[in-house]
Amino acid sequence: MPIHDQGYRRYSGGKTRGRGWTVIARNGIRSFLGKKAFLGLMLLSWFPFFVRAVQIYAAANLPQAAFLAPKAETFRQFLDQQEIFVFFVTVYIGAGLIANDRRANALQIYLSKPLTRAEYVFGKLAILMTFLLLVTWVPAILLLLTQIAFAGSLTFIKNNAFLLPAITVFAFVQAAVVAATMLALSSLSNSSRYVGILYAAVLFFTQAIYGVVYAVTRSTAMSWISLSADLTQVGDVIFRLPPKYDTPSVVSFMVIVAVTAGSALILDRRIRGVEVIR
Amino acid sequence: MIDHPHDRVADGQAVPAIAADHLSKWYGQVIGLNDVSVSVPSGVTGLLGPNGAGKSTFMKLMTGQLKPSKGAITVLGEPIWENPGLFFRIGFCPEQDAFYERMTGLEWVSALVRLNGFAEDDARATASRAIEAVDLTEAANKKIGAYSKGMRQRVKMAQALAHDPELLILDEPLAGMDPIMRRRTIRMIRDWGRAGKTIIVSSHILHEIESMTSNILLINQGRILAEGNVHQIRDLIDDHPHTIYVRADETRALAREFLGYDDVLSLRFEDNAVVVQTGRPDAFYARLTDLAASGAAGAIHEVTSPDDNLQAVFQYLVRT
Amino acid sequence: MRSQRTPALVPSAMRIFDLSLGQMLWSRRSVFLGVLLGGPVLLALGLRVISALYLSGFRINGAMAGGATIFGMMIWLLYLRFIVPVLGVFYGTALIADEVEDKTITYLFTRPIPRRAVLVGKYFAYLVCTSLLILPSVVLVYFLIVPIGDGSIGAAFPSLVKDLGMLVVGLAAYGAVFALVGTRLKRPLVAGLVFAFGWEPGVMFFPGYLRRATVAYYLQALVTHEMPQDSAVSVLLQVFREVPDVLTSLASLGLITVAALWVAGRSVEQREYVLDQ
Repeated sequence: MPIHDQGYRRYSGGKTRGRGWTVIARNGIRSFLGKKAFLGLMLLSWFPFFVRAVQIYAAANLPQAAFLAPKAETFRQFLDQQEIFVFFVTVYIGAGLIANDRRANALQIYLSKPLTRAEYVFGKLAILMTFLLLVTWVPAILLLLTQIAFAGSLTFIKNNAFLLPAITVFAFVQAAVVAATMLALSSLSNSSRYVGILYAAVLFFTQAIYGVVYAVTRSTAMSWISLSADLTQVGDVIFRLPPKYDTPSVVSFMVIVAVTAGSALILDRRIRGVEVIR
Repeated sequence: MIDHPHDRVADGQAVPAIAADHLSKWYGQVIGLNDVSVSVPSGVTGLLGPNGAGKSTFMKLMTGQLKPSKGAITVLGEPIWENPGLFFRIGFCPEQDAFYERMTGLEWVSALVRLNGFAEDDARATASRAIEAVDLTEAANKKIGAYSKGMRQRVKMAQALAHDPELLILDEPLAGMDPIMRRRTIRMIRDWGRAGKTIIVSSHILHEIESMTSNILLINQGRILAEGNVHQIRDLIDDHPHTIYVRADETRALAREFLGYDDVLSLRFEDNAVVVQTGRPDAFYARLTDLAASGAAGAIHEVTSPDDNLQAVFQYLVRT
Repeated sequence: MRSQRTPALVPSAMRIFDLSLGQMLWSRRSVFLGVLLGGPVLLALGLRVISALYLSGFRINGAMAGGATIFGMMIWLLYLRFIVPVLGVFYGTALIADEVEDKTITYLFTRPIPRRAVLVGKYFAYLVCTSLLILPSVVLVYFLIVPIGDGSIGAAFPSLVKDLGMLVVGLAAYGAVFALVGTRLKRPLVAGLVFAFGWEPGVMFFPGYLRRATVAYYLQALVTHEMPQDSAVSVLLQVFREVPDVLTSLASLGLITVAALWVAGRSVEQREYVLDQ
């Protein structure tokens, strides 16, 4: 029959399963890139990169500045310095990721689509991790490439071949742990402000508790109490540096795994289509 | 101007409930209200306009939540901005569905009534009476979070009228209500108007406002399109036929009945439905309701009207 | 011509206080913060048990430290530098912002009460709520920690009273400052965190008048305990530390509180709150 039915027809073509998270991630990233204040924060977070790039340039081209030559520790220190921006980016972006959906009752809408809870969570995780990697992994790798470009040789990278995987592994571990923790907290409330302060409380409070223990005992063996100290410890191990604290690295690693597992558990319980009010 | 037993008088002149003088409001580049000069008298007045017309902006200006960008607005003869004392005489039922969800209806209304200066016991008694007035007594001690949409609307109305204000401003009070509750609420509003309150009700559904009052203010794109008696506006509209879609089991039997009505201008058949054009939609709906109740033309499953919204009315008004 | 019955600020604020206190105290947020404030108590319990079972006290910088010294350290490191600013940021920035976000602000602003009474009433509810959260925590820590190393609860009691007073003054000042931040900025939380954990610690290093643009500068003058040297940062801070007298500090904190609240109140009165539909 030459004339086709012009009325409504069900779509009978193929459907791609398991890609729903990319839609969530793409839209989320786009929405944040449209905010001037956020772009300002991202720009500010790249300021240390430019300072380090100048350092590397100076070390490569000025004999008087040879003492500024980068070592493996330089990249570890750079990632350490970026922690403050990791915190602010996490609070800015992560606090509302799930909380705002809960406030707008959007979870029901999301989960009534052919979208699994895992896809929803991965989509949200991808948004936060993208920006966290933009302030950690991307500038660190670019710094490495800058070093190669300014030095004009591959000697540094040949002597420190572990740096590329180390930067990648640490940046991804840090981003994943921080993002998972923040997402779990975001799923606990429908107020992004509350989530932001909760995250700050968890981070700074554990740090403060460790500070008291250290002040009293003068021992860094209890640093596992502080989540940021655990990440620092794991980072030092990844970068083959002497650990900053006396806590065994395995303990710090286990704390990180436990926090991530706990976050996954919370997300599993909280990401639901309905909520019953008694 | 409609005389009302509770008209305020100043210098021998009745003081309008709301008086706007070259009132404009803009949000950045978007004009919410554009040079509006209007007096709203005592009694029940319907503020009609499609979504985005400026009704809520006008109501927010009336209730002092927004400050005019230009011009002036007075409520009960006084400027409303930074004049909280006026709210002893005003009750406002906002459009948004927002509450302290973990409070019960009675607790919430009592807490708000206390802000009107009532002592705790008096506030509770007053709140109970208001809750009774909106037919919510049975659910008064349930948490608002467990209320249905209709109950939430009613508890909002309760907090607006609890302190017995002279002026009630109701922003889309019928939104989300089922037909039975709508009818009850319309009746309540009419009764309050007869009891001497001045009421301003906003809606985008003409026949709902018509059943509450004959005094209407039509607004579109931030401008007042028409004001006054609804019959005058209706007469304009009756020249413009209404399309009504009726889905039923026995379309032919239904069509036979419709052809007997003198206001039916034309009809056609669609899939299990009859589409009618009528010059008097109110009369048509009334007869259709009787027909559906009697079952004389079989079961009627759906009645919709693509024309029965203010957008169509306004388009018509703007065209003429 | 104005309505004859102009509502008074204080009775209106009291009514808002009544409405808000119950909501704040029994909200899930306060319950969580109450649990968080149990952290120092648990830590104190742990230290007490360790001291009793394994050691006869703790050594700090080579010398035996009494319970009062450890208590002072906890006041500095936990309450003053962390808990008080966090409570201030959390509640202060949310006083009006929470009502706006929940879209319930309309009900409060269409009642015959001055708008600033809403802010003032909620502020006092915050002060009572946070004091009720923090003071028991401090008192419990005091009774657990001070007896370590044969410390005397009675002898150190006057300093406990001063500490409790100092903490309430800190909550009042931080709360007012962050209430102002909350009424002026769109994203007050980030600004609040930057102020409390970026600006205040950072500016202490700079000589001159810059540090007077902080609450911490005046609040720290009210602390009766020595600043702990828990890090290089603290050692440096001690070098640059310049301490105003108690009267100046109290007066300055009072002025900061009143001024911040007044400006915040003015801001609330003049601002238009356009709620998302």
